[in-house]
Amino acid sequence: MISPKSVLLAAAFAVFLLAPGPARGTTSEWRKNPQSSVRLITPWVVAPRSGDLILGLQFRLSPGWHVYWKNSGDAGFPPAVTFQPERILGKPELLWPQPSRFDLPGGLVAFGYEGEVVYPVLAKILPGSLLPPPPEKRDKPESFRITADLDYLICEVDCIPYRYTLTLDQRVDFPALADPETGPLLDTWMARLPRTLAEVPDVKVSTVLDAGRQGPPDFEVRLLGVAEQPGKTNLFLESNEALDAGRPQVRPFAGGVVFHVPMKPRDAGKPLPGNLEIGWTATNLSKDGQSFDLSVRHDVQVVAAAAQTPGGKRADASPRRLARLLLWAFLGGALLNLTPTVLALLVGEMLSLRGAAGGVREGAAAAATGIVGACWGIAGLAIAAHRAGVPAGWGAQLQEPAVTGLLAIASALLALNLWGLVEAPLPPAGSPKTGTSWHLLAGVFTVPLALAWPVPMLQEPVGYAFGRGPATVCAVYSIIGFGLALPYLILTLAPAAARLLPAPGPWLPRLREGLGFLAGASTFWMLYALSHQVSPEGLAGIELALLGLSLIAWLRAREGVRGPLRLALVLGLVACGAAVLWMAELNRMAPRQVAPSQVETMSVPAAEALIPTKILDPGLPPDAREPLPNQTSGG
Amino acid sequence: MYSKTIRTTLLGLAALSLAALPALAAGSVGETAPAFKLKGADGKTYSLADFKGKTVVLEWVNPNCPFSDRHAREKTMSELHKQYGQVVWLGINSTNPEHRDFLKPAEHLAYNQKNGVNYPVLYDETGAIGHAYDAKTTPHMFIVGADGKIAYNGAIDDDPPGRKAKVERVNFVGGGLTAAKAGKSPDPSATKPYGCSVKY
Repeated sequence: MISPKSVLLAAAFAVFLLAPGPARGTTSEWRKNPQSSVRLITPWVVAPRSGDLILGLQFRLSPGWHVYWKNSGDAGFPPAVTFQPERILGKPELLWPQPSRFDLPGGLVAFGYEGEVVYPVLAKILPGSLLPPPPEKRDKPESFRITADLDYLICEVDCIPYRYTLTLDQRVDFPALADPETGPLLDTWMARLPRTLAEVPDVKVSTVLDAGRQGPPDFEVRLLGVAEQPGKTNLFLESNEALDAGRPQVRPFAGGVVFHVPMKPRDAGKPLPGNLEIGWTATNLSKDGQSFDLSVRHDVQVVAAAAQTPGGKRADASPRRLARLLLWAFLGGALLNLTPTVLALLVGEMLSLRGAAGGVREGAAAAATGIVGACWGIAGLAIAAHRAGVPAGWGAQLQEPAVTGLLAIASALLALNLWGLVEAPLPPAGSPKTGTSWHLLAGVFTVPLALAWPVPMLQEPVGYAFGRGPATVCAVYSIIGFGLALPYLILTLAPAAARLLPAPGPWLPRLREGLGFLAGASTFWMLYALSHQVSPEGLAGIELALLGLSLIAWLRAREGVRGPLRLALVLGLVACGAAVLWMAELNRMAPRQVAPSQVETMSVPAAEALIPTKILDPGLPPDAREPLPNQTSGG
Repeated sequence: MYSKTIRTTLLGLAALSLAALPALAAGSVGETAPAFKLKGADGKTYSLADFKGKTVVLEWVNPNCPFSDRHAREKTMSELHKQYGQVVWLGINSTNPEHRDFLKPAEHLAYNQKNGVNYPVLYDETGAIGHAYDAKTTPHMFIVGADGKIAYNGAIDDDPPGRKAKVERVNFVGGGLTAAKAGKSPDPSATKPYGCSVKY
């Protein structure tokens, strides 16, 4: 028979076994709020009397909420914690596992953790701080109370600060005894800490901050002996007193990975020192099939001589410089009118305006509106590309085979149009279709044609704009548009100037056909650019598709082609265009340089490194540069 | 009629381009402060040009941000404004009207009155001026010198969690205004701002 006492004992044992939570003494109580829970943990049930003591701050976060890395990014702040007793623990150090990047509205960015994170804390039981207890107390467990005063900020889009005091009683004795739950948990998070250079002796690092270039200073981190994990590899910079960091771009090259980060001096009037201490963490690198992070803090050489005046001031961002950049943007835009395709369209459109049915002024205003409006559209696309991690900048578009293919189609269509085989963008010579909408279309069509030409004069204004933000990008592209529309703006303001143009005559069709060859030459220029971006088979396919496009346009222009056949041929034209884009993307030789969702980009180095010479110079390795100073070895 | 539309569009695009131009001057200390003309919660229009030759403090605010709210309740800014009476102090709220933090002018005025906010708060609903200054947090502080250039850009003080007693904090804006009064440059001239992100 079972006695009541036995039942009570069994029940008490069952309660003991089923009691929630970890072993007592190795964690503080959870402190909870609607967005998070936090507690202090120790891996030791019984800790050694002296030596390292790795503690942990364990956070569990509600979905969508995040806490911060040591650099919180554009907003927020990292957890701040002080530990007591200082006479035993000294000043423990918070350690930072691999962070994630969070994009916030307005182009802002935060770095931190979501879901669950344990910040390891490197503490040390100072020698002699825990004296052996007197003999009469040796039978009692010896412990000391650890107190952590914690402030942290948790954010979704909104942010909420919390402050807690976390305590736990740490037993100390010999032999030490690890906790079976918190020990492995801390081990797991310790393993997620970035390695130091000393821990990866085969990896070499070189860094340089180039403040002497046009546009924002560029911080380059070059890692040799590692590989990129496409879509995962990223770079996080620690806060710096002198500089704000922009969005990093990562590029693989033979034997390593290079990061470029646009930097913005916080004080434009203060010269940068010759060396600057910069801390950074590169995440998700790969070596021998192993993934790891690398954290480095060291002095970085600042290359600034070219940009500094004898007085030591940096190249100014004064109204004078801005005026110069705007002037360059405008002149660069105007200069684009002299490039072969734009010139061909301009001449054709000007002659069309001479006999415009709706009046010269209206037609010219329509063309100018089309150009400036399309420039805003291109600015929007460039901003989106920039945010998606695709290099953006004037000429950077030529790095993307699909875009180059699109430009090849545009110039081919213009050539076919001037040869009288397709009806747009310019109406056929002598056609009554010279209404305002045709001029608007011609204006819109001008912009993609202009994109094919990397005018060096535009690189600085566009690079500057991407270093500043979307509003500046729109402003600069708009000014380029006004420069590109200059001939039409002149006719809008002074329509009488159209009389200076020769009256249309029998020579006009011949001239248009001649201009068609100018546009055709531009198609070859694009094919030449493509020859360095896609495989030979892909290029042959693209050329074949363009030939097919021309053949269908020729068939469609034959007399008697009407009804369903005409529609079928239009569909054929579209299919050939789509085939060009498909083959360009399918046969690209190099993998996409950055992963759209994971790694953000910056415009200037990409644009300057790749246009116009590098992408068109087959002899140049993808990332050839002079050896850099400040090389640091892992060993 | 059609041509009038075209001309209107062209003029509209030109106006848009001009509106985006302030962004060209955005940013760092030592650069010209981007111009603006914004409507205040009090219904008046405020322009930076109106204060030419004066020192102007710009404070990005959002009463629904705990940091902005804490400083309003602690009267960090109001007392500083009172202390430096000759300085123009303007709050700028760049919160997107679609965001739940957005306060209508009457609500903002009531909040200001309750917390003793003794300076105008301007509405930058499009966020254009916030982006022009590269304002990231609430609060994010700028001192515009009498020469029209940005003299300080950064945090209000050195105590993001608000742990310290008010007198123990290093108030960067207070230090900057004292330096400006003595004809010197603020030191530091730039710090990392803290707080909630601006709700663009």
